[in-house]
Amino acid sequence: MAQKNPAKRTSPAGPPQLLWRREGADCLVTNDFGHYAWLKCKDFNLLAAGSLGEKHPKYAELADKGFVRDRLDFEGLAAKWRSKNAYLGTGPGLHILVLTLRCNHKCLYCQSAAAGVGARNADMSVETARKSVDFALQSSNPAITIEFQGGEPLLNWEALKAAVLRARAGAKKAGKQVSLALVSNFSLMTEEKASFLVENEVSVCTSLDGPADLHNRNRLFSGGNSHAATIKWLKYFQERYKHQVPGYRTFKPSALLTVSRYSLGRHKEIIDEYVKHGLEDIFIRPLAPIGYAKKCWGQIGYGAAEFTKFYLASLDYIHKLNRNGTVIREKMAAMMLEKIVNSRDPGYVDARCPCGAAIGQIAYNYNGDLYTCDEGRMVGWEGDDTFRIGNVRADSYRKVMASAATRACVLSSNLESQPDCARCVYKPYCGVCPVYNYEVQGSLWGDMAANDRCGLFKGIFGALFALLKKPGGEAILKKWAGK
Amino acid sequence: MKNQPRANTEVAVNLKKYSLETVRYAAHAASAAARVFIKLKGPATAVVEFSPTGKLPGPKIAAAFRAELDDETLRAKIWAANSELRDFMILKALSTEPARAQQDDSGLTPEQEKELDDLIAQVESEIKQEAAAGASADPLGITKTWEDKYGAKKPRKKN
Repeated sequence: MAQKNPAKRTSPAGPPQLLWRREGADCLVTNDFGHYAWLKCKDFNLLAAGSLGEKHPKYAELADKGFVRDRLDFEGLAAKWRSKNAYLGTGPGLHILVLTLRCNHKCLYCQSAAAGVGARNADMSVETARKSVDFALQSSNPAITIEFQGGEPLLNWEALKAAVLRARAGAKKAGKQVSLALVSNFSLMTEEKASFLVENEVSVCTSLDGPADLHNRNRLFSGGNSHAATIKWLKYFQERYKHQVPGYRTFKPSALLTVSRYSLGRHKEIIDEYVKHGLEDIFIRPLAPIGYAKKCWGQIGYGAAEFTKFYLASLDYIHKLNRNGTVIREKMAAMMLEKIVNSRDPGYVDARCPCGAAIGQIAYNYNGDLYTCDEGRMVGWEGDDTFRIGNVRADSYRKVMASAATRACVLSSNLESQPDCARCVYKPYCGVCPVYNYEVQGSLWGDMAANDRCGLFKGIFGALFALLKKPGGEAILKKWAGK
Repeated sequence: MKNQPRANTEVAVNLKKYSLETVRYAAHAASAAARVFIKLKGPATAVVEFSPTGKLPGPKIAAAFRAELDDETLRAKIWAANSELRDFMILKALSTEPARAQQDDSGLTPEQEKELDDLIAQVESEIKQEAAAGASADPLGITKTWEDKYGAKKPRKKN
């Protein structure tokens, strides 16, 4: 048998790739494989210079994580990269059907630019709804989600019902995993509709902005008390979830929080409201000055620093509740942690490289027009069709996937081509939004150095890594990931 | 009373020590706090002028820029030494399934080394072909429909 030659050392034994951020005497380092480590600055300097000896207490950890060039586990690291970027090559997984532009609410922050209940030519026809479902089923993604949105989708019940039945039949035929989800304010929900949704395995999600006074201030409803309707049906779906029956799975209802200027400073009350109603997830979503929200930004908007302060205070409070045994987690953090801790793709299309526009999600407007995402559709509603990628009746799946807008969004959201992002320590977990950049900074690429969305994400990542550094915090946060 | 415009700050950079690219990217990092103008002063000096746009004063921005110059130099050095390795790793991740069986990794026999070299050459050739084919090649098959890719399957039973 031939004598095996010992592996040659490459000099210097530095990092094959390295992203970093100095914070006082410490330095956070990350790499493309999604690994991270906290180092003392003096140890960072040794690593960067290729002088970190094998006997150094950090050497083994850094070598395992792919930070030492001549100790790379090619197979293991490639597997990590694949797992973290599993969405590449699977096609769009999220299909948002805007069943109507009409809504019976007039929410202050509504980005959807909803029309009044009596508006004409604002509903998706049953035929277009079926065609949209057929189009979604063509995606090469083996597991898709069709999400019914509006306006208020319950205002177009016939189209919703037709789309659900078409999706269930189409999924059986294609042998595909299809999840169905409804986003509704619940104000038009009835026992009959609720039973149809539950029996067809449609998960439901609503908006809950906090206690009644705050919720009703944000979400104006001329037909009554928006908060009361939301809570009533949340309880209903929770009861159905608790009492599962054979034949179908009933999902736990969920809620979304939209943070307006009125929410700032009220994080405890908002989180307590979620806990009080048995919700175990709270998704603290910032507002974006897109579509209608852009017009009233002065009244309801805020800067990255204000949101970050609110977010940090919320995380801190949730942590305190967790330590006392209350089960609740923040959804944005949970999704980011899935990438940071487990190197897995959580399916969050807003923070990917390239972004999920068209290749991760498609928005189907009421008239069959297709957009890169719901935000792109809102820009379209303002009269600018930059993000329109086709029409469900006129264009093939292939044409839509290869459209100019799809390609432009992919190119502009590639973090390698963003001068700031390519150097950012949070790059392995982050993503830019071409629609946001276009609306706020006037170009698909934007300018991250002065971009509020970027500032906001940096604030969130900064908070998460600071918590991961603390032994107590790390244990709690790791439980959030992959739940 | 009108706010007084903040004073501009200039930093001279020796281009024998830092490349113009390094100066440009380091300056970009400071652009959140200031408008930045880079001027050449002779063949060996770049003058970087900062006009603060926010609360941070010019000298602090200049200090951050100087620190960024060294960080950018380090980035460029790591990039130059490893760009091919990085490309190889990402291509490997994109194009191969992870190994299922544990193998002895104490070293490679000459035969195995030759096999690895052949594989690398094949991968590099594929990269060149794909680059030549342009964006329409669709190497990941994103534009294919579900049926094109997998064909119709039998439905799964509901639990």
